[in-house]
Amino acid sequence: MNELLGQLRKCLGPEHVLTDASSMAPYVTDWRRRYQAKPLAVVRPGSTAEVSALVRACASARVAMVPQGGNTGLCGGATADRSGHQVVVSLTRMNRVRAVDTKNDTMTVEAGCVLHDLQQVAASSNRLFPLSLASQGSCVIGGNLSTNAGGTGVLRYGNTRELTLGLEVVLASGEVLDALRGLRKDNTGYDLKHLFIGAEGTLGIITAAVLKLFPLPTAQCTAIVACDTPQQAVDLLELARARAGASLTAFELFSALCLELVLKHYPGCTPPFAGAGMPVAAGRDSHALASLHPQYVLLELSDSSPQSVLQGHIEQILAAALEAGLIRDAVIAASEAQRAALWALRENVSEAQAHEGRNIKHDISVPTSAIARFITQTDATLERAFPGARRVTFGHLGDGNLHYNLAAPIGVEPAQFESRLDEVNALVHDSVLQFGGSISAEHGIGQLKRDELPRYKSAIELSTMRSIKRALDPLGLMNPGKLFAD
Amino acid sequence: MKVLVPIKRVIDYNVKVRVRSDGTGVETANVKMSMNPFDEIAVEEAVRQKEAGVVSEIVVVSCGTTACQETLRTALAIGADRAILVDTAVELQPLAVAKLLRAVVDREQPRLVILGKQAIDDDCNQTGQMLAALLGWPQATFASKLVVEAESALVTREVDGGLETIRVGLPAVITTDLRLNEPRYVTLPNIMKAKKKTLDPVTPDALGVDVTPRLKTLRVDEPPKRKAGAKVPDAQTLADKLKNEAKVVQ
Repeated sequence: MNELLGQLRKCLGPEHVLTDASSMAPYVTDWRRRYQAKPLAVVRPGSTAEVSALVRACASARVAMVPQGGNTGLCGGATADRSGHQVVVSLTRMNRVRAVDTKNDTMTVEAGCVLHDLQQVAASSNRLFPLSLASQGSCVIGGNLSTNAGGTGVLRYGNTRELTLGLEVVLASGEVLDALRGLRKDNTGYDLKHLFIGAEGTLGIITAAVLKLFPLPTAQCTAIVACDTPQQAVDLLELARARAGASLTAFELFSALCLELVLKHYPGCTPPFAGAGMPVAAGRDSHALASLHPQYVLLELSDSSPQSVLQGHIEQILAAALEAGLIRDAVIAASEAQRAALWALRENVSEAQAHEGRNIKHDISVPTSAIARFITQTDATLERAFPGARRVTFGHLGDGNLHYNLAAPIGVEPAQFESRLDEVNALVHDSVLQFGGSISAEHGIGQLKRDELPRYKSAIELSTMRSIKRALDPLGLMNPGKLFAD
Repeated sequence: MKVLVPIKRVIDYNVKVRVRSDGTGVETANVKMSMNPFDEIAVEEAVRQKEAGVVSEIVVVSCGTTACQETLRTALAIGADRAILVDTAVELQPLAVAKLLRAVVDREQPRLVILGKQAIDDDCNQTGQMLAALLGWPQATFASKLVVEAESALVTREVDGGLETIRVGLPAVITTDLRLNEPRYVTLPNIMKAKKKTLDPVTPDALGVDVTPRLKTLRVDEPPKRKAGAKVPDAQTLADKLKNEAKVVQ
């Protein structure tokens, strides 16, 4: 082991091979504090050549590697085990933007670029990089690629896979697979990049990518509408899609409880609706008014047409929905400040629930047509099995993706509720299976859902995955213990 | 009691303003425009006074191009009763706007004019004061709290040393500060109602006001770019540099 560490120090420089507990601390605990690693070392390569060198060194010492980006993953996919024999490979020093090509509408970036920085880089070239998610200030593109991250832009622009044209990957052998091509058409056999996207680092280490850029919308209109039921929200989605087409760029559902939690924990947030016929008591003291409506949808139109045209468009869509009885009420942002304030109500849900204590999270998807039935049926089953469990349901309705999260009933300790994790998971995931859905829509499998996967994925799918794993990582050194048990 | 609320259409607060390359002004083409945030607070305040039964009618007025109709419709959706557009393509300066507003006040005879303390585009902070002077009315600027009574208004103002409360006789001009209230979101039903409310256009000529600019803008420049900073290895070097390079400490 000491020999390997010496070699790594030689490859990367001693300051980028961390071995003492305090300097490794930021890399050993996962975002949700569920897993605690004890790695041999944390290494911080600064270039593809360095990644290649360290992979060769680790491979010849038969030491496993755990690639890590911003360490914001929700399934423990970037957390090493406790054996003291794994090396965490942090890609965050590789944060250069290698090229921005506005004629080809692409940018070539290294794996450690922070997502928010990439959005800014695109915007400064008058382009949009549409990947957008709650952790964008800390997560890096390598992690987004490895987990095929989704977020709020998937409805219009697709998930990370659909935003990727090319990849550079260091293989388990240390060889560099250079497929950094910015091509929208390239039918030359197996499209290898797709193997590595969403592979959670089990097949190789992504070091760079060519990403798609889009025209920056010149106008955006954002509204929050109130509905009675998830079914009405789904019907509204159909109506909005039919009328707005590609300009519909966001369609996010969140329940009354989600809004309550946001207003409770973020006193700067203003409730979207006031009490009917009451003076608007916008501000801190009024969150009691929040839960007037059972369901809320944030929808957004983005386009290159003038603001007034888009505004007219969203008004027509919502007026039709109001007339059809799909929505109870709606507010439309009158300024960019209000637009940001409406988004904050949705975006703060993830953090607000964390302030309530740890809960049981599900990142599931079902066909959009089945979402309403899924919610009704699963809610009822849960209520029978775990009376009073609070359902913090929100998500990207337009993608069929729900964060169907469960907080402890009022008066029950979160830890006590969490001890029944397996039972709750089984109940929810069995329901997902029944509706033809997935137990991981956008977060991945990691170690969190690894042992559940065989129950929900067919034996043939799993054995095909294992064949690919064996072919690309015969020594089993690339992020072992994630996706499958060793 | 009738209230007049003058509002201005400005570049949205959250938009990064760019100077036109020829230095004649800032870029406004294809830029998101919104109601001046201080005016939005003025509209909200008038609507709250109406909801509290103090005010009976709210008239909003905007001076500028026909695009200002959108801003007026927003004010109507917040809860104003009707709107007036003083329609002109001429560049308007505070004195011209104050004169136009005086003419509108003469026609409408409100007991109260509530407007933003300044517009976030030119930051002049003059229109309310000039209007009060032209009308010979009392003025209460930078209001953070407003209590309207039958013959007077009690206004809490944000001043350097803290808060000052004054009483002004009506009719009066009141300008709003940031902390007076938090404007509501406009709801769809109110947006639809607003489309049916009256919006009357009028020209400066019809009001008998000469709006010809009296100030001339010579040039508009970007602020100088901030220079990149430097990292120093330790406190000693920092102290050294502050003393000998920057010469800001002795």
